[in-house]
Amino acid sequence: MRGAGLASTRRFAYCAGPEQMPQHALNSTRASTPDPLVRIRDLHFRRGKRAIFDGIDLEIPRGRITAILGPSGTGKTTLLKLIGAQLAPAAGTVEFNGVNVHRLSTPALYTLRKHLGMLFQSGALLTDLTLFENVAFPLREHARLPEPMLRNLVLMKLEMVGLRGARDLYPRELSGGMARRAALARAIALDPMMIMYDEPFSGQDPISMGILVRLIKQLNDALGTTSVLVSHDVAETSTIADYVYVLSGAKIVGRGTPAELRESDSPTVRQFMGGLPDGPLPFHFPARPLLDDLLEKTP
Amino acid sequence: MIDLLADLGRGSIAVFQRLGRGHLFLLRVLASLGTLVVRPGLIIRQIWSTGVQSLVIIVISGTFVGMVLGLQGYNTLVTFGAEESLGLVVAKSLLRELGPVIAALLFAGRAGTALTAEIGFMKATDQLSAMEMMAVDPLKRIVAPRFVAAIVAMPLLAAIFTAVGVLGGYFCGVGLLGVDAGSFWSQMQTKVLLMEDVVNGVVVKGVVFGAVISWIAVFEGYDAVPTSEGVSAATTRTVVHSSLAILGLDFILTGLMFN
Repeated sequence: MRGAGLASTRRFAYCAGPEQMPQHALNSTRASTPDPLVRIRDLHFRRGKRAIFDGIDLEIPRGRITAILGPSGTGKTTLLKLIGAQLAPAAGTVEFNGVNVHRLSTPALYTLRKHLGMLFQSGALLTDLTLFENVAFPLREHARLPEPMLRNLVLMKLEMVGLRGARDLYPRELSGGMARRAALARAIALDPMMIMYDEPFSGQDPISMGILVRLIKQLNDALGTTSVLVSHDVAETSTIADYVYVLSGAKIVGRGTPAELRESDSPTVRQFMGGLPDGPLPFHFPARPLLDDLLEKTP
Repeated sequence: MIDLLADLGRGSIAVFQRLGRGHLFLLRVLASLGTLVVRPGLIIRQIWSTGVQSLVIIVISGTFVGMVLGLQGYNTLVTFGAEESLGLVVAKSLLRELGPVIAALLFAGRAGTALTAEIGFMKATDQLSAMEMMAVDPLKRIVAPRFVAAIVAMPLLAAIFTAVGVLGGYFCGVGLLGVDAGSFWSQMQTKVLLMEDVVNGVVVKGVVFGAVISWIAVFEGYDAVPTSEGVSAATTRTVVHSSLAILGLDFILTGLMFN
């Protein structure tokens, strides 16, 4: 936890230089304020002919856990990549701390990304490095810290996720849950303002899932970070999310606290939150009638 | 007929789009080389994995190619009573052609495929995306050091291949077939020219082949479809394209250098 203080000092050091992103964008307080950390307006994104987002508006408040729920394939990961400016929208804006991320120059964008942590679904640990070196990687790249200080910082991050004892292991020697926790330690290495979690619970056993749920909540509360959680695990996400958006059919079909959404009148939201097979969300991929396929002569 | 033409058109456009992407990628890699000046350690680590770890295959192949040259050269030269020129034949063949070309083909198979597979795997497992999100440019951190390391390693490997090949030729010609050792070395010493044979052959061809192999290898890895099939196809393309490029460029370079 002490790392947060150290990194706060560093955060301002990163922003020095006229070519970097505007100071006002980063100097504002981390505490929960009425102005959201991320503001998305009228976002459109297409993949080929298919619309992934068709004019969505979304706000992520500071210091809270915001969940983005939706069935698989609705573009939840794409949304995180749009926020991190790894993808560019067809139209609309994504503002992080008042700055349009898609208007930034490459150096300014890279400066901004130092304040964003992302936990990938696969963990995305660097396979040729030990856990220690994986967590040390962003620190070595961006902060010229003396080796003893770097070691202490990395060990503290690993301690937070319970993997200090596994620091000399390689990613291939870890279970899925451990790999995700290690990736989480790396994501918080630079003490980011916001952490984006991409499907953190998928493919986890109940114990790992419980640990991850608790960790995300603890990190958010202890470090004062803003968290964005993309998931299709309704039950786990609802226990820790302060606010939830439900994505479906390229639109936001529901928004509110988990309790509000459970009481929602929207058939789509009810179907998704309740895990019901029947409803507006089709089980079948669009296709012609089954009889036509069965009666068709094969060559 | 129309469909055939449309397919042909689509295929051609795809080829040219890929060529364009490859060239733009090369420009981006060249623009990111500046970082390596302040972090030479990144290149040295890659020279170890692409160059030093290719030494075994280069030394063994060089020895056998030199020995075969010694045998074949002796059998041909002896019919004209010119077996004293064996050293010259072995050295010139290796310096001008066989050294750089075979070393490059082996390098493409050993190190080029490793580069493509490594970068492709990193892409498929989101490691490159994760680096971007950690504000680390993968072109500077991953691609550029590998690109430069291959260019540095290739001429050195071609030189080692050639030197070992000459020793293989000596072993066969002098050791087994009885060619006079003094003639073997003296003919080589007087007729092999520094600029025409050594620099043109090993250095220039080595650097050009190294640049082409590393460009193709890193581009194929970076541009690979991020699935196991995609990485496998990219690795195959690296070998095929590199080999064809080496042989084609060898003809062009030989034409420019020796005519």
